[in-house]
Amino acid sequence: MTDLIIETRDLVKKFGNFTAVNGLSLEVPAGSIYGFVGPNGAGKTTTMRMLTTLTRPTSGQAWVNGHSVTEEPRAVRRAIGYMPDEFGVYDDMRVWEYLDFFAACYDIPEIERKKLIDDLLALVDLSHRRDDMVDKLSRGMKQRLSLARTLAHDPSVLILDEPASGLDPRARVEIRELLVELARMGKTIFFSTHILADVSEICSHIGIVEAGEIIAQGSMEDMRAQIQPHREITVTLRDQEAVEAVKAIVSGVEGVMGIADLEPRAGRQRLRIDYTGDDEGVADLNRRISAAGIAILGFAEETKDLESMFMRVTKGIVT
Amino acid sequence: MTETSVGVPMSGTDGPAGAALEGAAKVLRRAANLHTALAGLMLLVAVVAASRLVPGLYDLVRSVFLARYGGVGDAALAIVIIFALVNISALLVIMVSVLAREIWALPGLLLLMVVNLAVLLIMGYTPSLITLVFGTWAMLRLLRAPNLLRINPVMVRELRGRMRGARAFVVMTIYLALMSGFALLLYVVFSTASSLNASAATGQIGRVLFAGVVGIELLLIIFIAPSFTSGAITGERERQTYDLLRTTLLATPSFITGKLESSLGYILLLLLAAIPLQSLAFLFGGVSETEVILAFLILALTAVTFGTFGIYFSATQPRTLAASVRTYGTIAAWAFVVPLVIGFIVNLVQTGIFGNANAPNAPGLEAVLNYANLLLTSTNPFATAVQTQRLLVEQQVIGLYSVTLSSDGSTIPMISPWVVFSTLYLTVAATLIVLTIRQTQQVDVNS
Ligand SMILES: Nc1ncnc2c1ncn2[C@@H]1O[C@H](COP(=O)(O)OP(=O)(O)OP(=O)(O)O)[C@@H](O)[C@H]1O
Ligand SMILES: [Mg+2]
Repeated sequence: MTDLIIETRDLVKKFGNFTAVNGLSLEVPAGSIYGFVGPNGAGKTTTMRMLTTLTRPTSGQAWVNGHSVTEEPRAVRRAIGYMPDEFGVYDDMRVWEYLDFFAACYDIPEIERKKLIDDLLALVDLSHRRDDMVDKLSRGMKQRLSLARTLAHDPSVLILDEPASGLDPRARVEIRELLVELARMGKTIFFSTHILADVSEICSHIGIVEAGEIIAQGSMEDMRAQIQPHREITVTLRDQEAVEAVKAIVSGVEGVMGIADLEPRAGRQRLRIDYTGDDEGVADLNRRISAAGIAILGFAEETKDLESMFMRVTKGIVT
Repeated sequence: MTETSVGVPMSGTDGPAGAALEGAAKVLRRAANLHTALAGLMLLVAVVAASRLVPGLYDLVRSVFLARYGGVGDAALAIVIIFALVNISALLVIMVSVLAREIWALPGLLLLMVVNLAVLLIMGYTPSLITLVFGTWAMLRLLRAPNLLRINPVMVRELRGRMRGARAFVVMTIYLALMSGFALLLYVVFSTASSLNASAATGQIGRVLFAGVVGIELLLIIFIAPSFTSGAITGERERQTYDLLRTTLLATPSFITGKLESSLGYILLLLLAAIPLQSLAFLFGGVSETEVILAFLILALTAVTFGTFGIYFSATQPRTLAASVRTYGTIAAWAFVVPLVIGFIVNLVQTGIFGNANAPNAPGLEAVLNYANLLLTSTNPFATAVQTQRLLVEQQVIGLYSVTLSSDGSTIPMISPWVVFSTLYLTVAATLIVLTIRQTQQVDVNS
């Protein structure tokens, strides 16, 4: 097992009677890009606020970089860079002053700060806006500035709450590239998002949270493997007779989990077969049907992407 | 967040250097506790002595604590209590500044020790030894981590923002314009009135001008100071920047002192800017430097203390509006409503009992009423300023003086209200700063 840089065990947070986080156990390996995915109100922000020592857990434990968030909050703060879902703006402040202030709050001596600020601005591509007022920046730039701020004290983990929300597609890609770049620099990135494209493109790990509970978690390969064996094959046939024939042929085959009629489309009958076999098995199914002399108009395997997995695992639990 | 056993808030520094800071703060806290015990003891002595059960108690106090003071024994007791309170306040403020890693913590401590040494040598105030011994001890600890002290980043940020653009100068201009306009008005009204009455001295014009300017300045400060501080913490919460700060290594004492320094620094600038205007009165004569200095002291302490009222409520209330309402409400109650109501009652009793020809012979009660009056005057900066100036002009009294009781013709020692005012306001401010830090940490932990 790899080193875990963030670990929670049965984390619970209650607001009065309402349970926002309900026995959440996370495992974020060091060096990973971990996508924390869940619908609105799932408890992502609340979990992050507990990890960043801003909110005390009702019960359960959490460690960041080996330090307990309740016992050693300062060590945790040293280890993390946190970007909340809202950008906190000080009006009357220039871009470099914003970074200078936060660097000072992290006890970075004044003589080191100037170079640090230059480096950070270069990294997030804001060098040309150094002397602009913070509240005049575009949302994408603010987000990048925020990211630069989280890096001021060279933390090992970045905890980012919806870093790409509210950005146009281009800005989103830029942020994504920045995250990949930071991961290459050796930082662990733990971020929450609704946008599954972000996850499938850049994440090495994913955790799906729903109503305060983790419902699936692991590396992207594991997740894909979990989904892959379960295929959905849609067979398009000419008439009802053929449908019955195919059902008769297929129902006995090993690996077929279920057969369902779909809505006819353009006068053609459609059938969905849930199948857990491998590629060879799929080809074999096709051969069997053909061998029986049934005309196949279409034989399509649905690629099950993250989106459909997300929809399926979170189905019905959304509050 | 953890707290040390004596309730000292953590400085938020780790390792041996952090331990040195915590240690120094703890030592200062202990010294403040000892002075508090002394002040409590002296209050007890005052009660016992006033009841005249134990003769010679005053002289005992004087010979132990204030050997070189030549005045009467009960005045000595008052001086000991005042010095103790000033020491407590100063020690608490320096303790906070140590935890906040303020660069002025060391010079501040040094200054306090020098003053204590002077008071020890001149008046024989032996409790100075507490501050001297513990101060040296704290300083030795601090010197182990001198490079931990730094310029407060919150103050730098706030001042940068405050001084940028036109706003700061617009406020300053309006403030000066208001006061100049008022002074001019006073001058015109008063000079026309006195030209009718040719005998009026120019010295009186000067005095009226001075009193008028200080009065309006006091009024402005009472409104401005809390408005700067009552949004200090709630404002950060509302702008969602507070969470950002809390995830940094910035410690609560640094945050609070940085906020206070920046707002009070700006107000100090306003006060200094008005000094030339006050000094106009010099042209007409009738005003001494002592009056200018005392007026500045009263103005500055009013700003500091009412500023800390603001920051205290900013720490305990969720919204700026609620904090402002509570701040101004408390100030009104503390400085105006309560002293006025009680003062009215005290005066009623006083005139009712002692105001007529056949006044009863109750010197004890009369003395108590006199002291109650002094205390009430000292809660209100206007009353303090007026009464201090009256004593200065009419009786040339700056500090101690004596009042003859109508009951039996005996005299009791009295003290000019600015002394009691300063001690009271300083103590309240220091206590509120410590409470604010504690409250802020409490709120953070429970969030
Ligand atoms: N301070 C609070 N007091 C009461 N309820 C709260 C508080 N903070 C969060 N909640 C509730 O807890 C639940 C989880 O909120 P949270 O913000 O963690 O969700 P989220 O996953 O971040 O959602 P989103 O995707 O919308 O950001 C919500 O139902 C929210 O209303
Ligand atoms: Mg959220």
